[in-house]
Amino acid sequence: MGFKEKYYEYQRPILGMVSVVGLVILWELVFTYLIPLNPFFFTKPSLIAAAFTEHIIRGSLWSDLVISSRAFISGFSLAIIVGIPIGAVMGWRRRVEYTLDPFLTALYASPLVALAPLLIVVLGVGLVAKVVLVFLLSVFPFIFNTAAGVRATDRLLINVVRSFGGREKDLYLKVIFPSTLPYIVAGARIAIGRGIVGILVGEFYAASEGIGFAISRFGDTYMLPEMFSAILVLMIVAVALTEGLRKLEVVLAPWRVGQEAR
Amino acid sequence: MASKNYAEQNRMVPCIQAKDITLTFKPKNRDPVTALKSLTLDVSQGEFVSIVGPSGCGKSTFLNILLGLIKPDTGEMRLNGKQITGPGQERAMVFQEFGLLPWRTVLANIELGLELKGIQPSVRRERGMELIKMAGLTGFENHYPHELSGGMKQRVGLARALATDPEVLLMDEPFAALDAQTRDLMQAELLQIWDRAKKTVIFVTHSIEEAAYLSDRVIVISARPGRTKDVIKIHLPRPRDYEMRLSPEFNEIKAGIWSTLKEELITKRAGDGV
Repeated sequence: MGFKEKYYEYQRPILGMVSVVGLVILWELVFTYLIPLNPFFFTKPSLIAAAFTEHIIRGSLWSDLVISSRAFISGFSLAIIVGIPIGAVMGWRRRVEYTLDPFLTALYASPLVALAPLLIVVLGVGLVAKVVLVFLLSVFPFIFNTAAGVRATDRLLINVVRSFGGREKDLYLKVIFPSTLPYIVAGARIAIGRGIVGILVGEFYAASEGIGFAISRFGDTYMLPEMFSAILVLMIVAVALTEGLRKLEVVLAPWRVGQEAR
Repeated sequence: MASKNYAEQNRMVPCIQAKDITLTFKPKNRDPVTALKSLTLDVSQGEFVSIVGPSGCGKSTFLNILLGLIKPDTGEMRLNGKQITGPGQERAMVFQEFGLLPWRTVLANIELGLELKGIQPSVRRERGMELIKMAGLTGFENHYPHELSGGMKQRVGLARALATDPEVLLMDEPFAALDAQTRDLMQAELLQIWDRAKKTVIFVTHSIEEAAYLSDRVIVISARPGRTKDVIKIHLPRPRDYEMRLSPEFNEIKAGIWSTLKEELITKRAGDGV
């Protein structure tokens, strides 16, 4: 295989890498040679890298990450457990959908982070308030996507399974669930982003530990390289989770991936 | 004509008896539509019967009643003398849009009916592989439906229907979505399978040629509400081959069906206000 064919095969990752590395280099060069850097207001990649290495060596961000993850995982799991059944019933029973839809749509559309101060007043500073915030933000994509998936289930396939003697249980397990699964995974991708916002806001407002607290404390004390390295950690986690879900989708729904590729 | 076809030898064994079937759909906020009105039809065991009629005449509705998915308002639908009350293993349908579960491989799709019957996985697998071979799908058992051509998809649909070894095969315009050549091929294969397996087949189609080529009898259904308008016996010898379709005799049969159907198409057009 020639060099050119090799390039076309990996064009996507190569160009992606070039753009990221290029931007980082440009950022570094601009603040090294063009604009004098005021470390109180901005920073540059080399300083962030130094702070990042320092954090890694000391392991301080690691404990913050563990604290935040605990709240995130609890709230997110709760969103899955509550959101999918509600969505399934909404998709299956029109009346339930019509009844719940106004509330859910209003809540989904509004910036629920506005409730953060109230939650902290009621639930106090700590794990519970953060869990509730993550839950509130990430439950809606699960509800709406599950409902959409159930609604989109092909009637023909339901009739097929019924015609071969399938019972109600078979319809759920053999048609509705597999047909809804890709919608749920897509919902989870949206929910991850919203859940991370929930964690951050919770920790910005009132917390004594966690990655959000770290970001806001570094910001308050003008430790910008440290702040950016905390943000970098968050970015890495978010990308890893989203990409992990994409991989999971391939494993769970190979038939869909093939379809999209066409 | 010395044709001795299977149905004639077995004329005395009725399989399906539809008597005075009437069904009216009553959609909310819209006028009720009478899909079938006093439709009566007897089919003998092992007979190949096609149903043709203008679109919307209730052909598919008739199949769904036979399948047990819909109940008629009045009238009786019997299978081997017993009233049909729901889906059953003696009947299986081949759907126009294939109706394959996209998340299942070819083999798993074919095994669906057996699985729902509660048959052991090892037995299922064995039967599934038998049908894969019969349907010419060897090598594709682990493919997903979206990886197959239309003709192959319908082979899977046919194999799935045959897997539970039903007495009656219901086919709802099964080849309508296929290109002409694949269609010819599938028709020939269907006749071979039918000849070997001795199933009773009810075949709904738009194509007069297809109906004439495959069937022992062709039932022409009237424009909505659907009634039996005419029954045409096809006295062509079996096994039939493609060349037969070029004979003057075959064209006469087609012309006969067409002249009956034409009246109904005109009625339908008048009804639709086209």
